[in-house]
Amino acid sequence: MLEVFKLSKSYKGKRAVDEINLYLDEGDSVGLLGPNGAGKSTTISMISTLIKPTSGDIKFHGKSTVEAPAALRKVLGVVPQEIALYEELSAYENLKFFGKIYKVEKRLLEERIQDVLDLVGLKDRQKELVKTFSGGMKRRVNIAAALLHQPKILILDEPTVGIDPQSRTHILEMVRMMNERTGTTVLYTSHYMEEVEQLCKRVYIMDHGKIIAAGTKAELMSILSNEDKIQIQLDRPSASFVEAIKGLKHIHHVEANEENIDFIASKGSNILGLLVREAEKAGAELINYQMDTPSLEDVFLHLTGRTLRD
Amino acid sequence: MGSVFMAQLAKDRRNPLILLLFIALSILATLLFVRSTQNMTTIAVFSEDEHGAAIEEKWLPLLNREGAYYHFKAVDAKHAREQVQKGRSDVAVKLMEQDYRLVAASDSPTIQQVDQYVRKIYTQEMQIQASSGVIKEEKLREAVNEYVRKPPFRLTKQGIDGSKVQSHNMSTQLMFAFTLLISIFTMGFKVNSVTNDKVSRIWDRMILSPIHKTSMYLGYISYSFFISLFQVTVVLILFKYVFKFDLGHHFGLILLIIAIFIFGMISLAMLITGFVSKPEQFYAIYPSFVPMLPLISGAYMPPGALNNPVLSFIADLFPMSHAMDALMKVVNLDAGISEIALQLSLILLIGVVYMGIGINLAERKSARK
Repeated sequence: MLEVFKLSKSYKGKRAVDEINLYLDEGDSVGLLGPNGAGKSTTISMISTLIKPTSGDIKFHGKSTVEAPAALRKVLGVVPQEIALYEELSAYENLKFFGKIYKVEKRLLEERIQDVLDLVGLKDRQKELVKTFSGGMKRRVNIAAALLHQPKILILDEPTVGIDPQSRTHILEMVRMMNERTGTTVLYTSHYMEEVEQLCKRVYIMDHGKIIAAGTKAELMSILSNEDKIQIQLDRPSASFVEAIKGLKHIHHVEANEENIDFIASKGSNILGLLVREAEKAGAELINYQMDTPSLEDVFLHLTGRTLRD
Repeated sequence: MGSVFMAQLAKDRRNPLILLLFIALSILATLLFVRSTQNMTTIAVFSEDEHGAAIEEKWLPLLNREGAYYHFKAVDAKHAREQVQKGRSDVAVKLMEQDYRLVAASDSPTIQQVDQYVRKIYTQEMQIQASSGVIKEEKLREAVNEYVRKPPFRLTKQGIDGSKVQSHNMSTQLMFAFTLLISIFTMGFKVNSVTNDKVSRIWDRMILSPIHKTSMYLGYISYSFFISLFQVTVVLILFKYVFKFDLGHHFGLILLIIAIFIFGMISLAMLITGFVSKPEQFYAIYPSFVPMLPLISGAYMPPGALNNPVLSFIADLFPMSHAMDALMKVVNLDAGISEIALQLSLILLIGVVYMGIGINLAERKSARK
């Protein structure tokens, strides 16, 4: 339905997005995962036809949206990262305004407003001014405003930044429901790995303007199929132990904090004995050893050497 | 266009305080400045002569005669000198039997004006006294007064069409100057909603909607126009009917000038919007720039007081000087639309040029994104 070919965007000679390719099928739920500054927002601004690419093309049903954006805009709902609402107006007044500019028929508008307010769980508070809402409630109205014209494609740019866990769960559940029940195609950007894992069937991982990995969750996890994620705990912190295990052959990406030491180890490397010995040498005792299945976060770490929040 | 207009109106209906404040400010500023121009300046006089009291008694009534520009008040010599020394008054007059001295600490236009006035009174009195050697002084004084009352020749002024020549109404001029100045702020802040909405991404939502960009701009501009015209109209009605200011006989024409002026100034605000990318930048530039417009346009000064050609040229590039010119012609000279057509055309021209450049710059900036 929507295809992106070698899409690039440069600002003053610096490439913010570098020849990326992606596609969205009807009813798809796709995640764009990457740390802040990876180029996710620029990418979705180009896909949303808000900014023009420096090179490359975006095709909607085979036609370039760079040349003729109208067809895509008709079916597109965009939830920007910013709260794009009039804070001095109530939730209802904001939705009425956005409904009018989207030319929703007068007789349908009232019904649609109530539907989207119901969906975001703010029907009872529709008459209250947006400026009196919590961050989470504002984000929910922000999403509601993009749904009034019943878009076929919904693009959400980090819709859960800086909100309470309750609102976050509500938003994620709502997006999931829309994708599953109404078949809305979802493109969801985030730097929260767990959100993308929870919501999206396919994931594109971005870093420094490039897509560094893409596929279903299973496909991405298979990148780490030969590795285990291990977390250990010593009875006391030991810098010499951390330094020692960094030098071990099958261990990499070691990260230590006051309580735990996390690292990736080659599958089947049987390192427990090694760890116990190194702990003894450092005058400490190994009190906990835990092996986890790698997550997308670990995939990102594996690919870039950094965590998503770095 | 209608949706954008109504959204802006709804915002202001929720928070009308700023609009009301601007209306109040227009009225307050006008009343304050008009009052200060109407107040007579008090000039201290004293005499250090041994017959000081008699000298003061003789000259004070003559100095304070009907139609005097200043109010002369006898004070203690030491106090008068102190006031001048401390800069609390520009000048004091030391009276003598047949002469006077001005006490001043620095040069100023007031000193020259006071000197001119006091010299005129002394000269007249000396002439009467000089003639009193020939004719009895009382008789002469009476004859002079009679002569002034019924002069052999009387100079009368009238318009080309025989109508009465109006004197320049400074109070009305100041009222227009302050009302227009404060409305400029309203216009600017409303036009800045474009930049505000761009930053908050409301603009992007609109771009993605079926609404045309022309309609979007028209929505903001027409609202800014409407609210500014409303503000100025309320202020003018209050001054005309409550404060009884003389606004001439063409209130409709005055509103037409104001409407065209508002269009011109909104275009200027749009031009500045074209240069900035954040609302804060606009808030920094606009309020520092616009208060200069009435100053360089001579809106606070009597006609002819500002004759610097460079300033006049700069002032002509903005709608304020043309609007003030047209307004005062309508109020003072009872001018009709054909007599102010040039000023109105110039404002419209300025408006079209500034608006064109402003929107073009803003759009180029968006395209560069």
